[in-house]
Amino acid sequence: MDFVCNFPFISIILSLFSGPLCSILPGKWAKRVNGIVIIVVGILSAFVLAYVTGTGEAFIYRMGHFPAPWGNEIRIGVLEAFMGLFFCVIMLLCMVAGVREREAQIEESKQNLYYVMVNLLLCSLLALIYTNDLFTAYVFVEINTISACGLIMIRQNGRTIEAATRYMIMSLLGSGLLLLGICFLYDLTGHLLMSNIKEQVHILAQTGQYHIPLMVSVGLISVGLAMKSALYPFHAWLPDAYGYSTLSSAAILSSLVSKGYIFLLIKVFYRVVGFEILTGSKVANVLFVFGIVGMIMGSINAIQEEQITRMIAYSSVAQIGYIYMGIGLATQEGMVASIYHVISHGATKSLLFVAASGLAAASAGRTSRELVGSGYRNKLAGIAFTVGSLSMVGMPMFSGFISKLFFAQAAVGHAHKMLPTFIALAISTVLNAAYFMKMVICIYSPRYGGDTTGENTIVGRVVFMKEQPVKSVALICFIVLNVVLGLNSEPIIRLIQKGLAMFG
Amino acid sequence: MQGLLLISIGLPAVAGILLLVLAFSEHLRAVGGTGVKHMRLYLFVSVMLVASVLLATTAAWTGDNSVVLFRLIESIPVYFRVDEVGRFFITIVSVIWLAVGLYSVPYMKHEGGEKRYYGFFLLSYGVLTGFVYAGNLITMYLFYELITLVSMPLVLHNGTREAVTAARKYLFYSLCGAYGGLFGIFFLYRYCGSLDFMMGGTLDAAAVRGHEGILLMVVFVMLMGFGVKAGMLPFHAWLPAAHSVAPSPASAMLSAVIVKAGVIAIVRVVFYVIGTDFLRGTWVQYLWMTLALLTVFMGSMLAYRERGFKKRLAYSTVSQVSYILYGLSLLTSEAMAGALFHVAAHGLIKCGLFLTAGVFLYRFGYTRVEELEGLGKEMPKVMWCYTLFALGLVGIPPTCGFISKWYLAQGSLHSEIPVFSWLGPVVLLVSALLTAGYLLPITIKGFFPGEEKSRENRKVHSGEEVCQGKEIASSMLIPLLVLAVLVLVLGIFPITLFK
Repeated sequence: MDFVCNFPFISIILSLFSGPLCSILPGKWAKRVNGIVIIVVGILSAFVLAYVTGTGEAFIYRMGHFPAPWGNEIRIGVLEAFMGLFFCVIMLLCMVAGVREREAQIEESKQNLYYVMVNLLLCSLLALIYTNDLFTAYVFVEINTISACGLIMIRQNGRTIEAATRYMIMSLLGSGLLLLGICFLYDLTGHLLMSNIKEQVHILAQTGQYHIPLMVSVGLISVGLAMKSALYPFHAWLPDAYGYSTLSSAAILSSLVSKGYIFLLIKVFYRVVGFEILTGSKVANVLFVFGIVGMIMGSINAIQEEQITRMIAYSSVAQIGYIYMGIGLATQEGMVASIYHVISHGATKSLLFVAASGLAAASAGRTSRELVGSGYRNKLAGIAFTVGSLSMVGMPMFSGFISKLFFAQAAVGHAHKMLPTFIALAISTVLNAAYFMKMVICIYSPRYGGDTTGENTIVGRVVFMKEQPVKSVALICFIVLNVVLGLNSEPIIRLIQKGLAMFG
Repeated sequence: MQGLLLISIGLPAVAGILLLVLAFSEHLRAVGGTGVKHMRLYLFVSVMLVASVLLATTAAWTGDNSVVLFRLIESIPVYFRVDEVGRFFITIVSVIWLAVGLYSVPYMKHEGGEKRYYGFFLLSYGVLTGFVYAGNLITMYLFYELITLVSMPLVLHNGTREAVTAARKYLFYSLCGAYGGLFGIFFLYRYCGSLDFMMGGTLDAAAVRGHEGILLMVVFVMLMGFGVKAGMLPFHAWLPAAHSVAPSPASAMLSAVIVKAGVIAIVRVVFYVIGTDFLRGTWVQYLWMTLALLTVFMGSMLAYRERGFKKRLAYSTVSQVSYILYGLSLLTSEAMAGALFHVAAHGLIKCGLFLTAGVFLYRFGYTRVEELEGLGKEMPKVMWCYTLFALGLVGIPPTCGFISKWYLAQGSLHSEIPVFSWLGPVVLLVSALLTAGYLLPITIKGFFPGEEKSRENRKVHSGEEVCQGKEIASSMLIPLLVLAVLVLVLGIFPITLFK
């Protein structure tokens, strides 16, 4: 076994133990350690990615070298390594972009806790990506929930505490269902390692034994994870949590945390249940329907929203809907499209949050009325917001278009789901355009709707790029990432396809 | 020669973006440009425009070039190719852009926000070049969306509440329409051999068999989708709002050229991807013809009732562009020739009309039809130009409007489609009468206002310093004269264009 194979394990442990370390370090050092850990983990993931691409097959790493049924395993293929890298990049950019907000909004004494939480979050995300053991996955799902809660709540005002409580309740409900599902599966198959469960499930499917319990457990796991990733009817916690928490929390939560659960779900479908059984079951159809409802309802809610961050948060609900719609198609292409959308949405949504905070900083508040003309006051943020919006609407050349293209291609030729998919894509595109372009026009209008009476109703200040070099660099990176994903998607698609092939 | 194609798209786009960046950085300083600065701006814009026009036309007329820029995904390249339609369209676009560019100098000086205006002006020229040279559906779609995005700020230009509403409406309708087109592209991806444009279509007969119904539905959705941009009923409501609120030179571009993007997109889909054989005699063709004729009639009626001058012209665009769509819907080569000729004729004429409307607005602040009475005495040249354009739009020889309508009517009569072969020319004729009814009274009242109006003292709105006693600045008059001459020349020697 090559030395590189240790890297995933090292990165999990590194981020796990740097958490407690951050709590005892002085504030400035905690920040540095946190940044360094993310960078190091990113580099390690890049090495792993290069290694796995080289060998062309997934490798299994046994914790403590105990053999399969007893030991704990992590398993890394191309997709896992890539996700690890991608999550690190996004997280780093989010952390960097939100420094100033964090320092202003979080009490001095709690700064350290923030970095503890972020490190734990990174650790749990990595574990969710890499693990080959269902129970380990559950444990890290919980760690993820708790640290996410901390991230929401750390900016102390009424709204965030309420949001965190809501998040806690919904999330724990989801975790409970997930745990039930895992228990059932354990009961049915006698294993907790994903690959072993799959063998047993395969036998069960062939003999037709325990069909209903099997389906129930698959359903429970799906619903549990769907709840945690804010699929439509379970989204009530989301707008407040994203809308009122501090910038880097909102960006990280929206682009990473929910995506970690989705990734786990896809992994469960491939590695635990087996793709054929999923296709045969009705679970996918349910996800498909909820996905479509989410796409539309999320956008409708967003249209009614006046406040920019909450609008972006509702748009997340819609985008999560897209992802579940792709999963619900229950075809290989649908999965590819969904995973591509996980990446594309991760890159775009964090961009939007950062840009929105930049615009808000140049204005008196966050409602569309107060943001009028802010595109001129904070130019880079204005451009970034426009890029993100165009990507969300699905303009060609940006990443959103490619994922829509893939969703549509996945749906073409699907017997029952083609037309609903197309119609949902159509409606949702139009709705997306309605609120995002409205906002873009708004930030570039010189004055509010030609209001001739109040000559100077706009309160705000000009924000120059020089003032906040770090944030500007992060924004530029985000923009570049988006355009690159939009113009050069082919390698990533191929990587996803290869990764999915290694998944099973 | 491949590089030439890309440069002709890239140069105006880059120049436009450069201007926008400059405009952006100046926005907050709120400095009024000094004379020298203005000269520099005009020099830059004119050099860039002339250079890009030269490049684009040379690229067009030096033979069939094609170039793959890059691949969006493996099976979908961004691909440009020059063909007859592209060559034809870019020529018209270039003429109109040059005319409008010259005209804008005094007009936009008065209106303000020049850098922004010229930025989008150049940018949209580049995008249009890319659009007409697009070699497959995806590339075309990409530039189609970009056209919407870069032309929207022109509507938004003066930033009033009305403009913002109109721009939103424009954006919303166009994006919905474009999505209709994209929806079709997703389907065609499966049923067509390739998405590249090829005269006669690339439909894969084996794949289509058994799915004709759904494919017809898809084609219909695409027609409706791209029809939005061409102002076809029932999605025409954005057009009068957007075109009347933009600054006049911008209205001229929007009405003369940008709406034609919808037409070109339909030409590409029907003649170059689907193929006419598939559509002939189907319900799609009949519905399309019906909608086009309805739009021709309704547009004229609405224009007849409208009292705002620019809005009247905008409704007239709704009607006239559907002449083109009707010609295309007949699916015969004769009618198509007429339709494409009308693209040119209407482009030149409508550009001229909006520019005259701009002159009245610029000099006297007139926006209503009634206010134009008696203007013939003060501005005889402009009024004569207007009369000529009006006659052209009605379709009276020897203007070019006559030629295109003649071919449209001929094509319709020879098409042997029951009912429509005679109904079409009848509707066209009625609409021509209505056109005469809403355009010519302005001329009549302009020259013969009656006793009390002619002595009225007019308040000059703006532009006194550039006119210096003449009826209008020469940089505004020359484009009008050139367009008028072109309308006549094309009417007398139409052969040059038919080739």
